[in-house]
Amino acid sequence: MKGTYIGELEELILLTVGILYKQAYGVAVMDEIERQTGRSLNISAVHAVLKRLEEKGLVTSQMSDPTQERGGRRKRIFFLTATGKRELEEANALRNQLFNQIPKVALQFKLA
Amino acid sequence: MAQTSPPKWPNRFLEWYCNPALLEEIQGDAYEMYFRTRKMHSRTLANLQFTWNVLRFFRWSNIKRSRTSSPSSLMMLHNYFSVFKRGFIKQKGYSFLNIFGLGIGIACFILISLYIRDEYSFDRMHSKADRIYRIHEIFESDGIGERSASQPFPVGEALLNDYGAQIEQAVRFYNFQAPTLAVATIDDKNKKEFNETRLFFTEPSFFDVFDFPLVKGNRNTALDDTHTMVLTESAARKYFGDEDPVGKYLKFQGNTNLLITGVLKDIPPNTHFQFDFLVSFETLKSFYEGHLPQSWYWNPCWTYLLLKDPGSVHTLHAAMPAFVQKYFPDMVRNDVTMEFMALPDIHLHSHMDYEIQPNSRESTIYIFGSIAVFVLLIACINFINLSTARAAKRAKEVGMRKTLGSPRGQLVTQFLMESILLCLLGAMFAVVLVVIALPFFNAFAEKAIPTHTLLESFYLALFLGLPLGVGILAGLYPAVVLSSFLPITALKANVSREKGAIFRKALVTLQFTLSIMLLIGTGVAIDQLNMLQKSDTGFARENVIMVPVMLTPVAEKYEALRTEFRRNANVISVTAMEEILGSKHQVGNFIFEGMPESKPFPRMNVRHDFLKTFDIPIVAGRDYSEEVGTDDTLSLLVNETLVKQMGWGSNEAAVGKKFGTRPNRTIIGVVKDFNFASRHQSIRPLVMDLNLNSKAFEIFMKYMAVRITGNDVPGTIASLEQQWKAQIPGWPFEYFFLDNNLEKLYHAESKMSTITLIFSGLSMLVACLGLFGLSTFTAEQRKKEMSIRKVMGSSNTQIFLLFSKRFFSLILLANVLAFPLAWFLLKQWLAGFAYQVNIDFSLFVLAGGAAAAIAFVTIGYQAWRAAHSNPAEVLKNE
Repeated sequence: MKGTYIGELEELILLTVGILYKQAYGVAVMDEIERQTGRSLNISAVHAVLKRLEEKGLVTSQMSDPTQERGGRRKRIFFLTATGKRELEEANALRNQLFNQIPKVALQFKLA
Repeated sequence: MAQTSPPKWPNRFLEWYCNPALLEEIQGDAYEMYFRTRKMHSRTLANLQFTWNVLRFFRWSNIKRSRTSSPSSLMMLHNYFSVFKRGFIKQKGYSFLNIFGLGIGIACFILISLYIRDEYSFDRMHSKADRIYRIHEIFESDGIGERSASQPFPVGEALLNDYGAQIEQAVRFYNFQAPTLAVATIDDKNKKEFNETRLFFTEPSFFDVFDFPLVKGNRNTALDDTHTMVLTESAARKYFGDEDPVGKYLKFQGNTNLLITGVLKDIPPNTHFQFDFLVSFETLKSFYEGHLPQSWYWNPCWTYLLLKDPGSVHTLHAAMPAFVQKYFPDMVRNDVTMEFMALPDIHLHSHMDYEIQPNSRESTIYIFGSIAVFVLLIACINFINLSTARAAKRAKEVGMRKTLGSPRGQLVTQFLMESILLCLLGAMFAVVLVVIALPFFNAFAEKAIPTHTLLESFYLALFLGLPLGVGILAGLYPAVVLSSFLPITALKANVSREKGAIFRKALVTLQFTLSIMLLIGTGVAIDQLNMLQKSDTGFARENVIMVPVMLTPVAEKYEALRTEFRRNANVISVTAMEEILGSKHQVGNFIFEGMPESKPFPRMNVRHDFLKTFDIPIVAGRDYSEEVGTDDTLSLLVNETLVKQMGWGSNEAAVGKKFGTRPNRTIIGVVKDFNFASRHQSIRPLVMDLNLNSKAFEIFMKYMAVRITGNDVPGTIASLEQQWKAQIPGWPFEYFFLDNNLEKLYHAESKMSTITLIFSGLSMLVACLGLFGLSTFTAEQRKKEMSIRKVMGSSNTQIFLLFSKRFFSLILLANVLAFPLAWFLLKQWLAGFAYQVNIDFSLFVLAGGAAAAIAFVTIGYQAWRAAHSNPAEVLKNE
């Protein structure tokens, strides 16, 4: 199954979906990533990743109300699911746990 | 924001490939970015970006995959098929009408196409067919004369000598212009003798020009020597049974033995002339004092040329005036033109005066072709009408399918498939019909089309292609109409009931217009035929016995035989003549008083009592008389048309006019006009020339004619035969009745009217099947309406009329359309005849009335049922 591991880009987009709570759709996610990280992604790549995340059950989606700027088309808004939230927490926790195990001395560059 | 949208083509591409479920968000994002870039940057950049994004979105997960996403298409096919099967069985009557009508339509189409294909296959079996030409001699002055399919003897040879650069071979055919020639086995016991009509003299080059295969014998030498012949397998069987005929002899005309040097395969029926015997041309020399006839005037030889290159026919044609000037005698030189006819064209395009056998006309093929298309069209219209009419019934099914998510394309596929399946069944039925009907069709169309022709790739393709084509054509309209129903309206009762009603009405009108036109056409064709056959030709043709006598010993015994014949009380008169009166004539050059030079005139060599035998009245002067010995050389009889054409004022004034170059030769009498040739032509001038020379029986006297009273015909014939045997022992007595023979003149017309009659009958039947189906359907649909009307107080008659009215108004309209169309087309057809029947308007009324009557019977039953149904029964279900 696909659901056991998420990649770096997936994690990034998953985080962005969380940040953009209730405003997370394709173009917004793309813009937010560019703004926060400077990474320029193609919109189709964002779509593909969002779709994959939805298939893994980490996000869910629903259609918004139509808006003028898209020629009256609706947006697909993505939300974090409980699984998605846990996945983020776990990833975060794992990262912290690993970070914390780094010996202090290894991080003391000033004295070296 | 300016009213601009993203570039059209990338957008369309996106809409085309994108999975509909994803389209909105993808397109939305693309649009949003487009508008943003447009606002902040340039339009070009926005366009480029949009296109790029569309291309990047083109990935597997976004592409629509309806085939895999919908339930397996095989399963759907299975479902369609079982729905079709159930519907088919549930509505047996409707299915039967459809298949039966379509089957008849396709069968008619195939039969006629078989006929037409056969007509176009004539003479094409020869490998050199495209290089073979027949040369015709047109010998006319002021439109009078002859258009001859045959040539003088020396023409073939002279052409080959003078134009060797263009002509590879020439081959001539000759048969003494005799109606029959006698052939017999040589041993006296078990003797077999017959008068043969299919015997020709021909040159060895025959085998170089034509491909007719020899089963036995050597192609290169078979006809080289004098007194040799080849014959066909069936002729060999007729004379020799199963024995090998090669090396044996047959006796020709009772005095010449011919050695058989080869056996030909039987001549295929699709050649423009048929033969059983070919005798070497060398043999002819023994009949003409050691050399072939040298006359450039007498034209008895059918001459075929094999060109080196088919393109050179124009060069040759251009050279012909010089050729004529070089060889033809003074008196005809300026009246002769030559014409080339390609071998494969002869059967349909050659209509000369001395054809070897009668040919067909291309116009007949056009007529048959239109009938075939009409019948097929009528059958297809039935199909369309019944299917669309039934559409309302299936509206609920369509609504249900749509509600359950069937896309429109799937519905169209379903209905097309049903219609193709039904057509395939119809085609299968048609094959059965064709196989059953082919022997009968062959019999009355005079063809020998074998059943296995249907296995040719053309017909296999037709059997598959026709149902497919008709199925799609006939199914497309119902499919489109049905699939366009909105589920909500389709599921509600009583909607879309009248959908396509106008279209159906138009089609029914078209059907009946075609049928009525066919009926009228058939009627007029039969009228015309009757007029040609039955009307007065100006001479007696009943009870006239014709006896072929050319090249028989009758030459010496004519007077004795005539005297003996006349002893019989039932014999009215006896004469002899050149050709069958009313069918054929020869042409001779005559010069009359006041003409600068001689001109060709239709001519008949006759013996005494010619006018009496044929009961032709004399209008001025006198008949030939046996008392006047000089009548043979010094006198001529002419007809009224000749007098008129010469401008002599009156018939009386014509008597005594001089002819020829010597002073004492005069016209002694003028006879009333009669149709000495078929009534395809109007009456032309005619000269009747008394010829008492006994040598005349070699060429100018082909028949004796005996008119009898009609009492005890068999007895009279028996006594004639007895006299014949006594005077001319060892020669078969053959005879025919003139009126029977003359019927053959209009054989082509008679065959055509039989075929048209049958097929227009069938077209009417098919149209009525459709009408029956449609009225059944309407009756069912309007059942409730009629019942309510009855409850409200309508009488049975009123309901009957109400129901029939709409159909009758269609038939009336069909009549109104068909009459002028038929009249116009028939005028065109009749223009080809010299004698035209007046188009009888009562025939139109009759055809229209017949169509209405048949339609009445067809819908009357339904109308009656509608009128007599019990309202309580109908309405209680509500």
